[in-house]
Amino acid sequence: MDFTLSPINKMVIKAGKDFCERIVPEIDAYMAEHGDYPPDLLEKYAKARMLGFDVPKEYGGLATTNFNLILLIEEFGKTGSTCFLPLLMNNSVAETICHWGSEEVKKKFVPPLCDGSAWATMAFTEPDTGSDPKMLTTTATPDGDDFIINGCKRFISMANKPGYGVFICKDLSLAGQPHDSTAFIIDKKSPGISCSGHYELTGLDGADTCDIYFNNVRVPKENILGKQGQGFNVLLRWISGERIQQAAGMVGVGHQAYLEAKKYSMQRIVNGMPMGYMQGFYWMLGEMKVKIDACRLMVYNAVCKQDAGKNFDTASAEVKVFTTPLIQEVTRMAVQFHGSYGYSKEYLVEKLFRIAMHQGVVASSLEINKTIVGMTALMSK
Amino acid sequence: MKIIVTIKQVPNVTKVKWDADGSLIRAGLPTIINPVDKHAIEAALELKEKHGGEVIVISMGPGQVESALREALCMGADQAIQLTDRKFAGADTWATSYALGCAIKKIGDYDLVISGVEAMDGNTAQVGPQMAEFLGLPLLSYALGIESDGKKVQIQQKLGDFERKIEADFPALVTVEKEINEYRVTPMDKILEAFEKEIPVWEADDVDAELVHLGLKGSPTKLRKVFSPKIEKGKVQMLEGTPEEIARQVADKLNEKFLI
Ligand SMILES: Cc1cc2nc3c(=O)[nH]c(=O)nc-3n(C[C@H](O)[C@H](O)[C@@H](O)COP(=O)(O)OP(=O)(O)OC[C@H]3O[C@@H](n4cnc5c(N)ncnc54)[C@H](O)[C@@H]3O)c2cc1C
Ligand SMILES: Cc1cc2nc3c(=O)[nH]c(=O)nc-3n(C[C@H](O)[C@H](O)[C@H](O)COP(=O)(O)OP(=O)(O)OC[C@H]3O[C@@H](n4cnc5c(N)ncnc54)[C@H](O)[C@@H]3O)c2cc1C
Repeated sequence: MDFTLSPINKMVIKAGKDFCERIVPEIDAYMAEHGDYPPDLLEKYAKARMLGFDVPKEYGGLATTNFNLILLIEEFGKTGSTCFLPLLMNNSVAETICHWGSEEVKKKFVPPLCDGSAWATMAFTEPDTGSDPKMLTTTATPDGDDFIINGCKRFISMANKPGYGVFICKDLSLAGQPHDSTAFIIDKKSPGISCSGHYELTGLDGADTCDIYFNNVRVPKENILGKQGQGFNVLLRWISGERIQQAAGMVGVGHQAYLEAKKYSMQRIVNGMPMGYMQGFYWMLGEMKVKIDACRLMVYNAVCKQDAGKNFDTASAEVKVFTTPLIQEVTRMAVQFHGSYGYSKEYLVEKLFRIAMHQGVVASSLEINKTIVGMTALMSK
Repeated sequence: MKIIVTIKQVPNVTKVKWDADGSLIRAGLPTIINPVDKHAIEAALELKEKHGGEVIVISMGPGQVESALREALCMGADQAIQLTDRKFAGADTWATSYALGCAIKKIGDYDLVISGVEAMDGNTAQVGPQMAEFLGLPLLSYALGIESDGKKVQIQQKLGDFERKIEADFPALVTVEKEINEYRVTPMDKILEAFEKEIPVWEADDVDAELVHLGLKGSPTKLRKVFSPKIEKGKVQMLEGTPEEIARQVADKLNEKFLI
């Protein structure tokens, strides 16, 4: 496969770098102070037209490739900022609604996600599970033309922000059937919804992850995304894309960790010369570079399958399995390069190390993906 | 409102090399849009967003200026025109202004021409004013702010320690300072559209330029020599004697150099 970047790809990267250099620092400063995203964050993305990559123009999208999206995300990753999470979410949820939604649903819910007036959410995880649809306890009870939602979703990104979320619930009208989860599009400011405070996380500084509670929340039937019983399919298809985007961000994180280590290794004098000249360190640098290059190729490979309309579930799971430990290792090495300074907040590598840790436990765990890849291998002829 | 923006492509380096004729060796150097010209594009785009119309960008230079023009289209310019012809080569500011002026005449029917105050490499700040002279346009230079009601243009002009407001009827030429605005992050939708647009290449004949005024031959400025000023290594002289004698010697030296 040829991954030569086209002039458009290069311009996307250039614009991304420019956004990261001129705008991300002020966003990040706000997030450090307030522990939350700036209220006008989506406006900034909308102005740069960064929402709705893989969404048709008629719904406010760009009708371009996911490849362009992941190139942009890699640039955000290099900053170590968490601010790209909502960018990913609005892109991936808008695409998901376009894939599964009826014409009315698409017309109603997609444009606000592309113009930045609504914050997207995708919610599956609950207190008892983040992996198993059978264990879901948030219920949807049919009531005339509506469903009544009750329960709790845990660790939900942007749950407390105004906008729409796709919530995967146990559909009580399907009780006893093998596939009983249904995806509902819910206005997060509906009566009966409340949220916890933010979780204190290891990394992803400033993220707004919280629990969201449903107390007799009424949702019209028209808000069902896909068909009843397809809730888990909606989630799996969404998460296949999200994993690739997440990995692209982490490739940026790893790449920056490598660059930080390289820079430091030329500055820090050890034994009378820059430490980078010691074989132990330049071997490490070489290893870091190779690892990141390989991770990037994995990401490109998977996203090209996605753009070609091929099945990319396994390719996306492979990306998580391959890249998670490598990028975490690269960021750890970058900390090690910096000695004690690397363990202090004075240097970016500490932040990069912490953010890299989320990849194994957010947007499906590393182990679940090993299960997907392993089972696919076992079942293939 | 029809706005023409002139942009220059410049090398993105702090040190440059010259060939034996004193011409800049551009081959292999990374290039960028002259930084202040991005603010000129932004000013034009903002006016267009308020009043409607179109923004046309032009640049004179070798074939590679296409990438600068493409980037301007990515920012949101509607059209770009490239002026490339061997006959333009080696132009000084006068010949540059002439060639650009001919192209602007050729486009015609414009309300505003916007350029940067000065280029990062040549730094003469002459091209804007000279184009205004050639085209017979009122010149509004050093703009820190720009406003228009669709018929006139008004700018906040930077004049050393003070500022003033000046205005002129259309058509007019404005040169902008970088403080005039924050230019936008290139929007993704425009990037996608920009690569579908054709950038016509105009040669000297296309803009009805007279050969005698073009390029090196048409340039009144003759380049004698280009050199980097030698930076002399600091020389240290050790003074000897008693403290009083040394103090006397220091005073004499400073006196010699008219420093005291
Ligand atoms: C180091 C150096 C010194 C020079 N010194 C002299 C000199 O003393 N006298 C002289 O006559 N020439 C000189 N030149 C040549 C001169 O720079 C260019 O030939 C001339 O094309 C533009 O002048 P400028 O770069 O000073 O532009 P400026 O007048 O500083 O540029 C002002 C604005 O004019 C517009 N503009 C300028 N050039 C172009 C272009 N090619 N296409 C589109 N828009 C443009 C841009 O909007 C720019 O922001 C020098 C060049 C260099 C590299
Ligand atoms: C910052 C942050 C943001 C988040 N945002 C969202 C969000 O927006 N929406 C959302 O729905 N969730 C979100 N999550 C939740 C996250 O996706 C889940 O926590 C994750 O999927 C793991 O679920 P769990 O912790 O419940 O683990 P469990 O499912 O309880 O699993 C426990 C352990 O068992 C392993 N395991 C489970 N099943 C298998 C299996 N079949 N094979 C092998 N190993 C298995 C897992 O790998 C894990 O190590 C977020 C989490 C965080 C930290």
